[in-house]
This record gives sequence, C-alpha cells and structure tokens, in this order.
Amino acid sequence: MNPTFLEGAPMSLIATFRLGTRLFWRDKAVLLGTVVTPVGLAVGMPLLLNVVESASLATSVFQSALSLLLAITAFMSVTVALTAQRDQLLLKRLRTTGLTDGQILFGQIVSTATQTVAMIVLSTVAVRVLAGVPLPDDPLGFAAIVIAGSVVMALLGAAYTAAVPRAELASAYTMPVFLVAGVSAGAMGPIPLPDWLEPVLDLLPTTAVVNAVRTGDLAVAALILAGWTVAGLVAIRLWFRWEPRRS
Amino acid sequence: MTAIEVNGLRKSHRGFEAVKGVSFEVGEGQIFALLGRNGAGKTTTIEVLAGFQRADGGTVRVLGLDPYADRTALRRRTGIMLQEAGFFPDLTVAQTVDTWRGLIAAPRPRDEALELAGLAGKRGTKVRQLSGGEKRRLDLALALLGRPDVLFLDEPTTGMDPEARRATWGVVRDLAGQGTTILLTTHYLEEAQRLASTMAIMDAGEVVAAGDMAETLAAQAGRVAFRMPAHVHPADLPLPVTLEGGTAVCRAEDPDLAAQTLLTWAAERGLRLAGLEVRTATLEDLFLESAR
Repeated sequence: MNPTFLEGAPMSLIATFRLGTRLFWRDKAVLLGTVVTPVGLAVGMPLLLNVVESASLATSVFQSALSLLLAITAFMSVTVALTAQRDQLLLKRLRTTGLTDGQILFGQIVSTATQTVAMIVLSTVAVRVLAGVPLPDDPLGFAAIVIAGSVVMALLGAAYTAAVPRAELASAYTMPVFLVAGVSAGAMGPIPLPDWLEPVLDLLPTTAVVNAVRTGDLAVAALILAGWTVAGLVAIRLWFRWEPRRS
Repeated sequence: MTAIEVNGLRKSHRGFEAVKGVSFEVGEGQIFALLGRNGAGKTTTIEVLAGFQRADGGTVRVLGLDPYADRTALRRRTGIMLQEAGFFPDLTVAQTVDTWRGLIAAPRPRDEALELAGLAGKRGTKVRQLSGGEKRRLDLALALLGRPDVLFLDEPTTGMDPEARRATWGVVRDLAGQGTTILLTTHYLEEAQRLASTMAIMDAGEVVAAGDMAETLAAQAGRVAFRMPAHVHPADLPLPVTLEGGTAVCRAEDPDLAAQTLLTWAAERGLRLAGLEVRTATLEDLFLESAR
C-alpha cells in the first residue's frame, strides 16, 4: 500500500465498502458457507448444551464458538472473495479507477468485518433468547474486542490470499485456519493438547478474542491483535497479488 | 504537446525480456496504434504505461507523470480498456456502470456512457448474459466514465460485430477530436489504418517500424497484381514480378506508373491483364513486411 492510502476519498471508501457488502449478500454459496454454517454452529451448539447440560456450559461453548465466527465469517470469507476477484481480474479492473490499492483492500476488509460483527451480535442475541446465555457484562468492551478481532481476521484473510494459488482452492486452504482457531479456543470440545502448545495457541488472534470475552481482560488481547495487525500489513505489502499468476 | 513519452522501455517477466528498449511518443489528441503479433510486447507496454507494472529500464511518462510511482494521480486522468478484465457477472449493465461511477470522481452520467458505448438498450441485462462484443462495449463505457485525458484501448473491438466496430471507431474519433489522447492496440489493421494518425509496429519486444501513418505508408512500395496471361513468362514482362499462385504481383513505389507500363506492354502484344488490381501500400503490407 502506498502512502496515499486514504488520500481524499471517503466517498471511494464508502463505494468499495458498499460494493463488498453488495457482492457478499448476493452470493448464495458464500452466504451458506460463511453465514448460515458458522451462525448455525455458534447458536446451535449452546442451544443443545443448554438442553442436555447447563447454561454455564452453553455460555462457555458460545464464547469458544466466537473463534469459528471469526475464522469463517471474517477470515475465510475475505480470502474467498479476494481470490475470486483476483482470478476473475476484478481487482485489476478496480485498480483502473482512481482508487488507491489501500482503499480497494480497506473497503473489502471493513465490509467483511462489518458482516462478522453483525453475525456475532445476531448470535449473541440469539443465544441469550434461545439458550439462556447471559449478555456480556461489559458490552462496550465486548463490542471493542469483537470489532478489533473481526478487522484483524479480515486483514489476515486478505494477506493469506497470497498463499492461495487459485480461487477454487480458497475454501480448502482456509480450512486448517478454521480448525486451529476452533481447537485452540475449545470450540471443538475438550481436545488434549501438549502443555507447551497452549501458550502458543493463546497468541492466536481468535484465541485472544475468546479469552478477552471470558476474562474481561482486554489489554493482552489488544497487544496480540496489534501484533497480528502489523504482521498482516507487512504480509500484504510484501506478497499480496492483484492478478492471478501468469503460469 | 506530448502526452505519452516512452524512451528505452525494458520489461522482463521471469527472465524473459518482453520489451527490449522501446521508444515512441504520442502527442496530445493523437490516436496512436501500437501493433504487433501476439507476444510482440504490446500488452506489456500498455500495462507499464497504465501503471500496473514497473519498468525495468528506460523512462515512461504519461501526462508528465511516472505511471507507476504516480499511478493514483494518473488514473484519475486516464481510462483503460484492458484486453482482459473481469466483471461482476450478477450485476446488470446499469448496476455495473453505477457501481463504477461510485468509484470515480466526476463521472459521466450513466446513460451518456451507455449511449457512447452503444449499450443503451442493454441497461437491465445481467453481465453474464452479454456477448463477447457487448462486454467489450461495457468495458469501453467504464473506460470513458471518468472523461479521461488519455485512453488506453487494448484490442477494443475484438468480438464486436461490424456495426458495433464502426460505431466504436466513431466514438474513438470523436474523443480524439475533443482532445483525448488515445493509444490503441489491435489485430485489425484496417481499424488501425482508419483510426490512427501515428503508429509503431512491435516485433519480439522491439519497435520495427514507427512514424506518421500516412507518411510511412506513402514511403512503402505499392502493388500491381493481375492474372498472368497464358504462355507469358515473368521474364518477358517489362517490370519484375513475383508469382503468387497464378497471380503476378509487381511492387513499385509508384503503382499507377507501373500499371500504365504493364498495360501498354500488354496492349502492344494484344494481351489482356485480367483481374488487374492497383493499390498503394496498406498497413497490412507494412505489417507483414516489418513483423516477420
């Protein structure tokens, strides 16, 4: 991204945001994969556990399931969208406008993050109503960490497109990220992990968000997310591809 | 006033030198045709001029700006019709143009752009339902939205029917008449000859012929062709000819004079030069001669 990243174009940012949002809600396959599935998991699992176990276990599982929403609705969604746009030469076409490269990516990232926050809010209300999961004690802190987590995961998803050779492989390439995010936050159930691995997994952005929601301690999560933000920006700067490989 | 300056441009892809020291200039309001076979380096040159790729060597200036370093500023003043670039297939033509209008400062009204591109009747059609030629016209509409000072057209009429092609030529001429500088590539040499006032022919990454279209063609040999009369040997003719099947072809700087000489010779012998065709050099002749 060049220094003129946000140069004089709030209208352009709104336009790219609207474009990303419009395309997101028009694509039924994307909606099934990145809205219906994760929201179904995030609401369905607590609902089931509330029935067969307790509201406290349902609450814990819901908090863990936030990692799935972040991994799928933010990370996977933006990776799939950007690789498709890259391979169809839509990103190249967008670059023929007066938009800076930063504006194009920023609009897509903010759009995806907004969908993610909306899904998390929807799921939070749904599990409150359906599964007796209490609303967060600190709604502002919850909102802040969810927004930050969504933006960082969308940013990392944009950076990750560099590793995806072709658009049709995007979902498969993001599957390991989804699994690691779910396992590390406990969303896949109690899976025994080596002692040395747990502190490492705590450094993942998804785990940091889940831990912050559980403990209310935002400082550690903010530091971790800041570190991932820097890593994501550097990766985009170095490796992001605007066009498919020529061979 | 020069709008595009290319001096010693070099560009390689993974060790393959696609453009080898190309130089040319395009004046403001001119239509310049960059010609060559597939793989000659035309699209790479356009991509450097449009700021998609950084030049490996040489200097490139468009409207006085470095297209790569100043690409954001420059793109607000240029329109680009890429040889290949995607659309959002589920949007209609009107939605596509509206979407693009939101990304461009001071865009043309949607209907004006669609009228210019000859797509006014397709407003409600989804992009995925357009033919190849209609997609090129939509591409043109998008390239014209920002009222560009410089327009890059990479094979603009590929896939268009003859009527649409001629309509597009009219648009290109009108734009140039209003002061827009246009650089186009095309495989339709008639199109280049009709539209462009200056041109360069590229072959294997180098410019092998360049200059003012009319002057360059005037300097080329013309052509006189006729069916070879029976029992006549080429050596009997007053001018040297080559045989292409049963057709004798005489190349001459002044094809009218050559035709007169041949007709006089034939009349003296009671012969008829059937299928006689006399013409000055075309861009196709020059192209085939240059891009071997």
